[in-house]
Amino acid sequence: MNVTLKVNGESFTHEIEPRMSLSQYLREVLDLTGTHIGCDTSGCGACTVTVDGDAVKSCTILAVQADGCEITTIEGMANGTQMHPIQAAFKEHHGLQCGFCTPGMVMTAADILKNNSNPTEKEIRDGLKGNFCRCTGYHNIVKSIQHAAEHIKG
Amino acid sequence: MGNYIGKSVKRREDARFLKGAGKYTDDIKLPKMTQAAFARSPYAHAKIVSIDTSGAEKAEGVVAVYTANDACGQYGVPCGWQVNFKNGETMREPVHPLLAKDKIRHLGEAVAVIIAESLELARDAAELVEVEYEELPAVTDPKKAMAQGAPIVHDEWPDNAAFDWCIGNDRAEVEAALEAAHHVTELEFNNQRLAPNAIEPRSYIADYDVNGDKWTLYSSTQNPHLIRLLLCAFVLGIPEHKVRVVSYDVGGGFGSKIYHYTEEALLTWASREIGRPVKWTADRSEAFLTDAHGRDHAVKSKMGFDKEGKIVAHLTDEYCALGAYLSTFAPAIPTYLHGTLFQGVYATPLIHLNVTAPFTHTVPVDAYRGAGRPEATYLLERMLSKAAMEMNMDQAEIRFKNFIPPFDGIEQPGYQTQVALQYDSGNYEGTLKRGLEMLGYEDFRKEQQAARKNGKLLGVGISTYIEGCGIAPSAVVGALGARAGLYEVGHVRVQPTGKISVFTGTHSHGQGHETVFAQFVADKLGIDMDDVEIVHGDTEQVAFGMGTYGFRSLSVGGTAIIKSID
Repeated sequence: MNVTLKVNGESFTHEIEPRMSLSQYLREVLDLTGTHIGCDTSGCGACTVTVDGDAVKSCTILAVQADGCEITTIEGMANGTQMHPIQAAFKEHHGLQCGFCTPGMVMTAADILKNNSNPTEKEIRDGLKGNFCRCTGYHNIVKSIQHAAEHIKG
Repeated sequence: MGNYIGKSVKRREDARFLKGAGKYTDDIKLPKMTQAAFARSPYAHAKIVSIDTSGAEKAEGVVAVYTANDACGQYGVPCGWQVNFKNGETMREPVHPLLAKDKIRHLGEAVAVIIAESLELARDAAELVEVEYEELPAVTDPKKAMAQGAPIVHDEWPDNAAFDWCIGNDRAEVEAALEAAHHVTELEFNNQRLAPNAIEPRSYIADYDVNGDKWTLYSSTQNPHLIRLLLCAFVLGIPEHKVRVVSYDVGGGFGSKIYHYTEEALLTWASREIGRPVKWTADRSEAFLTDAHGRDHAVKSKMGFDKEGKIVAHLTDEYCALGAYLSTFAPAIPTYLHGTLFQGVYATPLIHLNVTAPFTHTVPVDAYRGAGRPEATYLLERMLSKAAMEMNMDQAEIRFKNFIPPFDGIEQPGYQTQVALQYDSGNYEGTLKRGLEMLGYEDFRKEQQAARKNGKLLGVGISTYIEGCGIAPSAVVGALGARAGLYEVGHVRVQPTGKISVFTGTHSHGQGHETVFAQFVADKLGIDMDDVEIVHGDTEQVAFGMGTYGFRSLSVGGTAIIKSID
């Protein structure tokens, strides 16, 4: 099947197998390996990207379902060497350890802050329910997102 | 004090992780790379009646299918630690085959590997492998495994015991002291088996270079040099200089990525057979089924106290399951990494721990997060908490009563425990006092009582912890049964421009070595941190090493780097 979509601002058309997940498409076809597959069953959130602005677990939708959509992956967050404020906040507040869950955390954080520019700690924790960090760094992840919110608000 | 040690320095590795530019094994693609999938047993214990791979072999895109009937069937992965029976009998050590031949001994054990042009095609073909099993009764409970008539894991050892072991004082002496004690607290519980679940599933790529007759193995491992050693010298019989093990970014390990796994050896073997690179990345189900599990102790414990609440003796019997085969460090976990912590921070005069370690029909059980030591601490603290309740004592008071008195290791000598270790210094009452002050313990207890009257439940838990960290040096671990030295390599190279490359045999999978090691190297040399590069995770660049686990990176690996600078 043909799929045409925009990823990080760039348009792509590919002939792919209908069973290919969006996460596999991003990793294997576009070589965007920043989107990680931790469980392939929508449990862990490492593969989170945004589809038309909403956070989506890319392992659980087919690439063909994203036909015509605009996707942003972790690779599309920074502006050249300039990190996105969420990324900068994670670095500043030690919001990561092994880094494997991190792209999903950042993309979910973007979704949380898009809908709520001033989230409470509880709202952030609720928003992160679908993302696992096995290094158990949730405390600093929450702190990072709080600081990112402040920074974005200016 | 230099410019960096003790300062809040931002992690240097974070930028690449935050931009999605980390290099985890599954991110690597090689030219002509194939993909592997496994046919795995749906039973914990079964006889393999027949395996038919003809359908899989004919399937679209299949490059090769192997079973234990192929040459890989003669190999097994080794255990790296030997603990013999109390009576001197040698530890029983089954062959841990790369693929099961006649018998399945745990759920998820692989019977065939299917290599194809893509992951989807490999998985499609794996579903076409037809295996006829005769299901057999299985035993997964450590205590039941040692009972009369339990299902047998390895036919040659009908009692299922891998070894038994004890540490501490004479059992009869401990029993007599318990007999004479004013109060005896008893506790029986299971420290249950668990699946470690690093967020990055295990992933390997084996790449055989036919012209150089050499291999590169990309592996999500915590210790690339040990994998190379075991893979080469103990499994495939390849000279070590012909294999390069590369472990770039690794998404957490928690112990589960220390060990040499069957898939690593099998892929390395298969890559030469097919003359192409082959990748396998576990899916989450395979991670649950095949990553070495942790804990699995059945514990029965007695602790005796005098009238004042001082411990007079401690006796524990445990059944500690090892799973179907002996994983790399498995025998060390319920023994030397467990029993040696039974003193804790308490002046218990008499201690005896007896461990029976059976085979069970589960995936191998090995180190997980702290490995043997949290299990010991959990037991000691549960016992003290229960005893305090039974004797109507305050939870802090019973601990103060039993602490080893402060010793600084200079004026007062080190403290010799009843369980082999000698502590160098300690001030346990000072630490707990400080903790209680920070909480405002006495006020908290009053607040708690008041709250309870109003139907509200407030609680405080007290636990102490002491741990043997930084597994080394080699002579000691050798005496305890380690089959390899646990030395570490730190190599500091001054480049012609004056910049520094540091080569370490430890491995970072979230710990931040690239930052921490650079901090103290820069301070030692009086240079800028940006002028220090940390190289790890590549057996071709780093001379040798024993990897990262058991809190050894800084204490052992860091010391090696400092010695190299000195």
